[in-house]
Amino acid sequence: MVEAAVEDKRITLKEAVKLVPDGAHLFWGGFGFQRPPMAFAHELVRQKKRNLTIYTCGSEMDIDILSGAYVVSHFELAFFAIEGIGLAPNIQRRIREGAIQIEDYTNLAMALRFFGGALGVPFMPLESMLGTDLLSKKKFRPKKAEVITCPFTGEKVVLVPSVRPDFSIVHVSRVDREGNAQIDGIKGEDIEGARAGKKLIVMAEEIVDTEFIRAQPDQTVIPNIYVTHVVECPWGSYPMMVYNYYDYDMEHIRMYYEQCKTEEGWQKYCNEYITSVDGHKDFLRKIGNDKLQKLKAKRPLPY
Amino acid sequence: MKKKYAKLGEFTTLELMAVCGARAIKNGEVVFIGTGLPMIAAMLAKRTHAPNAKIVYEAGFIDSNAIDIALSIADSRLGYRASGAIGLIETLGLMLQGGHVDVGFVGAAQIDEYGNINTTYIGPFEKPNVRLPGSGGGNDIVSSAKRIVIIMTHEKRKMVKKLDYMTSPGFINGPGAREKAGLRGGGPSLVVTNLCQMDFDQQTKRIRLAAVHPGVSVEQVLEDSGFDLIVPKEVPTTELPTYEELKLLREIDPLGIYIPRTKA
Repeated sequence: MVEAAVEDKRITLKEAVKLVPDGAHLFWGGFGFQRPPMAFAHELVRQKKRNLTIYTCGSEMDIDILSGAYVVSHFELAFFAIEGIGLAPNIQRRIREGAIQIEDYTNLAMALRFFGGALGVPFMPLESMLGTDLLSKKKFRPKKAEVITCPFTGEKVVLVPSVRPDFSIVHVSRVDREGNAQIDGIKGEDIEGARAGKKLIVMAEEIVDTEFIRAQPDQTVIPNIYVTHVVECPWGSYPMMVYNYYDYDMEHIRMYYEQCKTEEGWQKYCNEYITSVDGHKDFLRKIGNDKLQKLKAKRPLPY
Repeated sequence: MKKKYAKLGEFTTLELMAVCGARAIKNGEVVFIGTGLPMIAAMLAKRTHAPNAKIVYEAGFIDSNAIDIALSIADSRLGYRASGAIGLIETLGLMLQGGHVDVGFVGAAQIDEYGNINTTYIGPFEKPNVRLPGSGGGNDIVSSAKRIVIIMTHEKRKMVKKLDYMTSPGFINGPGAREKAGLRGGGPSLVVTNLCQMDFDQQTKRIRLAAVHPGVSVEQVLEDSGFDLIVPKEVPTTELPTYEELKLLREIDPLGIYIPRTKA
């Protein structure tokens, strides 16, 4: 019997971000405070990427950073804020400047648009958005959504266009070298979003042996067939959270929120924590091991 | 056991609002909620009259039994003794649009007299004064749940004649409008504010004063409303919170994250 060589898709965070050209369209994974690809956002800022379009359901400090640093020019999404604290400060400012534009959908609409892209069909039907300005008003898409009468039942239904971005970026709990990924806790829209991109970059808290994955195949939510590259990235969502791994750092998030109320404050934050550090490991060193250890999940609690 | 009601001055308005929200949940119902006051209300309902209510958070936590206060609907805290941790297609798609959700709780920056909701823009669409967080799952919930409870603060600039932007559909522009638009969910049934509770007139689908909170006058409610409010001849007063409810609320949110302990 011939033994299959284990494929190795690992690259570094810097290498992964280099693959994303200016003007690229990205599915952006994570939901709310859970598993945002924060380290990827920081590296996009460090590499001075410009004019990206981001598709996501709801994101927070991660996309606020991308907006502050002029990395993103267009969003198609359903929600952004710093939940439990307030409005996203940089996004507010960049909207006023005209530096970013937002096309609004609902969470279900966005999740279905990713599902449609992953399925290879051009649109998906849903009930949401009917009768509202979400349907009648648009910012930059030539066509945003259409109402049709179902040819089978005569019911009114909304069609939203599928999304097939250049890259999907997700941060997961663990993955093997081949790209078989597991996600603990909620999946948000990452199952569909991961499969929607033409290329998929999977960041993970840890890389595990492929035998670990193959001993429990029912836990795999993204099989390697979809995965282009794998990036090992512990604390990749800090200061937000990863289920079973670590809690959010509310002190840091509040500091960010307060400081970013002014442009000067944001510039100071960006310089101190993003552009003047030499990559993700250096950022973690700046945060300090004592702080990180305190945030580790206190099992059996997942936070 | 006879209920022991607290007296005016022994509870805060936010506590009363949480109690009103909790009482709107029936035992055994599937409840869709977000963070903030609705989460506290649902946690209270489960600890009092509705232990079998199933609390679903749109990010994917199903039948959550959280013991700690969450800041995000995706917060790992909501995974505590949940029955499932799935995703948005499951919660907003299969569960909600599939017709399994009895009641959804949402907030609003503005509502109009038909219970239509704005959570997206303040000011003109082309050049807004403030860009709010957007729909999130709000529009999905308000479109498809069997009934909706809105919790918000009562101010003239929030209770408006015309919304700056309609994010989620109430009764749109009157009787039959939801059906005509193609919506299958039941629409708004209750609005809880810091001054009163409001429901919707069956005939006209317009907002109506259902009860004023203890110590609040009908005139005060009208003064702080920018829309026309139907006022029935007899306006009851909101049932006071019980000592048991207040004790539980203070256990649920001991640090006062959503219900600050300013004064008793």
